[in-house]
Amino acid sequence: MKRMVLALAMAGAALSFPALAAEPVKIGVTIAKTGPAASLGIPQANSVPLFPTEVAGHKIEWIVLDDATDSTKGVANARKLASDDKVDAILGSSTTPVSLAMIEVAAEAKVPMITVAASSKLISPMDDKRRWVFKTAQNDSLMADAIVEHMVKAGIKSVGFIGFNDAYGDGWLTEITPRLEAKGIKLVATERFARTDTSVTGQTLKLTAAQPDAVLIAGSGTPAALPQKTLKSRGYAGKIYQTHGVANADFLRVGAKDVEGTILPAGPLLVAEQLPESNPVRKVALDYTRAYEAKNGAGSLATFGGHAYDAAILLATALPVALKSGAEPGTPAFRAALRDALEGLKEVVYTHGVATMSPTDHIGQDQRARVMVTIEGGKWKLLSATN
Amino acid sequence: MSRLAPLLAGLAILALPLVPGVPPFWFTLLNYAGLAAIVVVGLVVLTGMANIMSFGQGMFVGIGAYTSALLTLHLGVSPWLGLPAALAVAGACAWVVGAITLRLSGHYLPLGTIAWNISFFYVLGNSDWLGRYDGLPGLPPIAVFGTPLLASEQVFYLIWGCVGLSVVLTLSLMRSRTGRAIRALKGGRVAAEAFGVDTGRIKIVAFVYAALLAALSGWLYAHVQRAINPTPFSLNASIEYLLMAVLGGAGSVWGGVFGATLVTLLKDQLQNVLPLVLGAEGNFEAIVFGVLFVLLLQRAPDGLWPLLTRRTGAPPPPAPVAAPPLPPRRAAVSGPLLEASGLRKVFGGLVAVDGIDFSVAPGEVVALIGPNGAGKSTTFNLVTGVARLSAGTVRLFGRDTSALPSRAVARLGVARTFQHVKLVGTMSVIENVALGAHLRGSAGAVRGALGLDRAEEAALFAEAQRQLDRVGLGALRDRPAASLALGQQRIVEIARALCLDPALLLLDEPAAGLRHQEKAALADLLNRLRGEGLGILLVEHDMDFVMGLADRLVVMNFGAKLCEGPPRVVRTNPAVVEAYLGSAA
Amino acid sequence: MTGAPWISVALPLSRLAALATLPRRGGKVGAAVPSKTIRTRHSAPPEPTSRTPRPVDSTILLLLVQDGVVNGAIYALIALSLVLVFTVTRVILIPQGEFVAYGALTLAAFEAGHRPGTVGLLLALGAAAFVADLAAGRHTLDARSLGAIALRDLVLPAAIAGATLVVPEKPGLLVGILLTLAIVTPMGAYLHAVAYRPLEHASVLVLLVASVGCHLALTGLGLVFFGAEGSRTPPLSDAMIPAGPLVVSGQSLWMLALTAAIILGLWTFFGLTLIGKALMATAVNRLGARLMGIAPSMAGRLSFSVAAFIGALSGILVAPLTTIYYDTGFLIGLKGFVAAIIGGLASYPGAALAAVLVGIIEAFSSFHASAFKEVIVFMAIIPVLLWRSLRSHPVEDDE
Repeated sequence: MKRMVLALAMAGAALSFPALAAEPVKIGVTIAKTGPAASLGIPQANSVPLFPTEVAGHKIEWIVLDDATDSTKGVANARKLASDDKVDAILGSSTTPVSLAMIEVAAEAKVPMITVAASSKLISPMDDKRRWVFKTAQNDSLMADAIVEHMVKAGIKSVGFIGFNDAYGDGWLTEITPRLEAKGIKLVATERFARTDTSVTGQTLKLTAAQPDAVLIAGSGTPAALPQKTLKSRGYAGKIYQTHGVANADFLRVGAKDVEGTILPAGPLLVAEQLPESNPVRKVALDYTRAYEAKNGAGSLATFGGHAYDAAILLATALPVALKSGAEPGTPAFRAALRDALEGLKEVVYTHGVATMSPTDHIGQDQRARVMVTIEGGKWKLLSATN
Repeated sequence: MSRLAPLLAGLAILALPLVPGVPPFWFTLLNYAGLAAIVVVGLVVLTGMANIMSFGQGMFVGIGAYTSALLTLHLGVSPWLGLPAALAVAGACAWVVGAITLRLSGHYLPLGTIAWNISFFYVLGNSDWLGRYDGLPGLPPIAVFGTPLLASEQVFYLIWGCVGLSVVLTLSLMRSRTGRAIRALKGGRVAAEAFGVDTGRIKIVAFVYAALLAALSGWLYAHVQRAINPTPFSLNASIEYLLMAVLGGAGSVWGGVFGATLVTLLKDQLQNVLPLVLGAEGNFEAIVFGVLFVLLLQRAPDGLWPLLTRRTGAPPPPAPVAAPPLPPRRAAVSGPLLEASGLRKVFGGLVAVDGIDFSVAPGEVVALIGPNGAGKSTTFNLVTGVARLSAGTVRLFGRDTSALPSRAVARLGVARTFQHVKLVGTMSVIENVALGAHLRGSAGAVRGALGLDRAEEAALFAEAQRQLDRVGLGALRDRPAASLALGQQRIVEIARALCLDPALLLLDEPAAGLRHQEKAALADLLNRLRGEGLGILLVEHDMDFVMGLADRLVVMNFGAKLCEGPPRVVRTNPAVVEAYLGSAA
Repeated sequence: MTGAPWISVALPLSRLAALATLPRRGGKVGAAVPSKTIRTRHSAPPEPTSRTPRPVDSTILLLLVQDGVVNGAIYALIALSLVLVFTVTRVILIPQGEFVAYGALTLAAFEAGHRPGTVGLLLALGAAAFVADLAAGRHTLDARSLGAIALRDLVLPAAIAGATLVVPEKPGLLVGILLTLAIVTPMGAYLHAVAYRPLEHASVLVLLVASVGCHLALTGLGLVFFGAEGSRTPPLSDAMIPAGPLVVSGQSLWMLALTAAIILGLWTFFGLTLIGKALMATAVNRLGARLMGIAPSMAGRLSFSVAAFIGALSGILVAPLTTIYYDTGFLIGLKGFVAAIIGGLASYPGAALAAVLVGIIEAFSSFHASAFKEVIVFMAIIPVLLWRSLRSHPVEDDE
């Protein structure tokens, strides 16, 4: 009997040897599971169980915290992760202001950080602090390019803008204004609204009075449906553009027939099934979609979750490289190695495109990271690349 | 024990970094607790002491943070230069906002502060020069002797040093003359004004002081966080500060520090523990926090600190110190002290006082008597400038004071007591009495906070002790006023009035609730005061007391004067017997 | 959004004032085909050269007023409940906004075929109220009162929860509305028993702070029950009624009519009936109310239930007009609070009028300077508060 126990123990030791010997890699996740950006943070949190749990024989431990869309809390979380949990990388946060504040901690503690927020401010201009910051969510600028390109093709000459009265709306307004100007499209009205406003009639009247050919609504999730519904009820017949912030099923549910024909840029994840078989993103995106919906119910996919998943893919791809450096996870040397590995990533296929990092480009996305999508019959529909 | 507790807690906190194995995140948390504590200490002054409920402290934190951030970012100056600027700008803003908002009464005031804070948030978010919603990142850290304070363990001492400084300054301020005036607001404006406190001004002083502490916290926040945006200065943050103050105990400065620390630690722990307990994700800490908070209010409406330390909010008054007596305020007055003619007061359609004339001379005790509702207390209020005259004139010391506010009347040398006792229940007896000497001191908030008012304070307290001894309550000096019997509280009010060194003393039912011996002692005291040349106007129901004491009686009925004369004449006046004595006796 | 928006505020306002007196353009055509007046022409490709911004015309003015009135009606409903609760219990019911969100989202859940999480909350609150009621009445408890408490706090919620189980998955709009009202209304009474009755002797400010605590807990629960995304519900009426240059939706008429009915109802009840007057007096005169046979706890329970009912009803009314989120309640609750305060926290018609005023200010500021809408709304109330404060403030401010 005793001998058997010993044998079992030895076998166990032998089996678990790689795990025992290998220090687990710890990754901290801090996202907005609550607060105003909860509609971004919840699908991101829901994606964590789908993250890889082992890479190159090392276990990966994901430590998830909620920052309630509050930069104070976000920074506190980042400090906790860096100083107490001694994580090797930080993933988060969901919004630009919180992520901007977290950069300070990442740079101070020399921990690589992959943000899932939108603004390109987070990674440019590249400097000593931003060396440590990487990004997966498409830059607003990439998406803004796509929208303006589409507008030019559609012969649009004037645009009205209505956006969230917060960082999201701000980001879009700053990106879209110079681009429209460059193409000779007039921005005839800029209006703002709040997520929980019960009426946007005033803003809508101002927009329609300016008679724009198209209106761009910059909001995230269901709140972005209200201006569009109000515009429709006021009989506005021009084109309506939305941003990739609306890419979830709830927007379609609340918007219903009023959002038919909306045009928006989005990550390829949103319409993975409609991508051509040849597109490498298709398989990754579909795998993620299936896994996510198996856990959270059919139709629950939101592209925001994909950004977090993509960050996990980046890490999983960079970790083996960093491990080869010989540094032990949990040490400053390892964090530096991981940072270098992230910066050296080439052609990583993830759910929102293909990323190739460089010392000056910490997002590494190209045209493959965005598609133009419309809404048809209550579903997302891929517009052909030439549309 | 109770006095040692905060000291021990402070030492424990300071020694924390020396303990090996303390998780570094503790410092981060304690740093946030300290940042909040500084704001909450200011809020304690505002809410707990001055009775001003503010939902707008987040705004002043923001003003401090943004001021220093802009200076260091655009002009490249050191954060140390940002600090005075932050304080100056926040103080000035608080002065302006306070001058407008503090005129609001009741629930209008909290709503007013909510309005400011919401507006502030959207202005921050929509101003390009303030970085809009993304805010201002990349701020420099605070450096000490050339070493930038980056890590939580380094910043820890700076933040808690500032907490300690705020506590010391605040305790010192609260014990001072200005502090007593601030705390007197809790007992109602009328009483404070009656002793010469300009309550409008003192409210602004409290408001500005709280804003300065908030700005200090904001300055620290900006350079510790090194990135700011509007969210940490929103209404939600202000609400949280208020919850911290109420939870810890808005009545005491230590309660504020305790509340801030407890809430910060609790929220963090709830976030760690709840998902494990509930097995699900969500904003459970807000739910649990809200529920705990309501339950706590039910069990301890004064907050946790008094519960833990078994002490009322009042900081202990200074120990008695021998001090030279205060100089008397005036030479003896000749001629009538008070001449009231044709006093008339109309409330709505009701004539409360109708054409009353009387006068009080030095060394004379005049009693105003009459049935309940005859208008005696209203007459008191008219004479002391608490209520506005509808018609008639009041002359004090030969001067027309009909249009003067009560604090100006007090300045002339008129002191009074109130029918409904207006002491600050949480303040010690001697501090309540010392408020009476408010006009005999001159130290302002700055001198008070810095403790440069020691000599004057000692003199004021010596005077208060003398008056308290004089009315026979010297032994009760350190008791909270609320713990005294009602009759004793009336006597404390008399001591407070005497502290003003008045030439004219107005006593509203001083003998009510006194036992026989106490009444005799009171009569004895009043006789002595008369002997010193004081004029005394008295409202009293106890006829034996009045008849034995007063030189002259003025009998009122339904707002009008029924008759006037020495006690024995009035006693036999048929109209008086009919209207008053007949029914009362 | 780089220029100073304040300048753009000043300009159109003066223009607007001038235009308000001008005759309406194309009057007859506009009346016949109402929505055309503001419809922009986009079926044909736009001519890029002839684009001059159209001046603010009287139609826009009317539309803004209409929007303001409809929004004001929501604030009015909240303001009324706040006045009701305050006059009876001295509580400033900040969680009133949560009742609105709960009403709207519970109905939306029924419409979507889910069992709303509020059912569980009702059961839990009922059980907590049962404990609180037992604790409060422990000295006078007998079998009969115990039975009554159990019936009220345990059996009633259980029956409502049972009803949600027996109805079909998508019960239809009418049944959904009834169930929603049945679920949310008793929560008011339970909330009073659990949170506020133990504090009935506390000061107004302590009660206000307790309200903040309740608000935090209820909003957090809202996120758990309904998620972060918003919902809408089908309208009670699809009718679109042309009225001059405007189109009035049947839903907004429903809303205005019900608001008016509730104002009238509350006003008559409290102004004219003896029990209403006594109820209102509970706040100031407990003994008097007791003599009328009204225990303060009963009065509190009643007023909270009515407030929850009005809240749920407002949610049901507003959810077809806009998207409601778990945290919508706070800001509209705050604006209702503003209206109630301007109305002096005592007058129902006053609060309702003030609510409409807030709605209109909001509509106009969202037209002229949408980024600064809240700034304008909240700064506009400061002078009103000052005026109120000076008017209502006698010499003695203590007790």
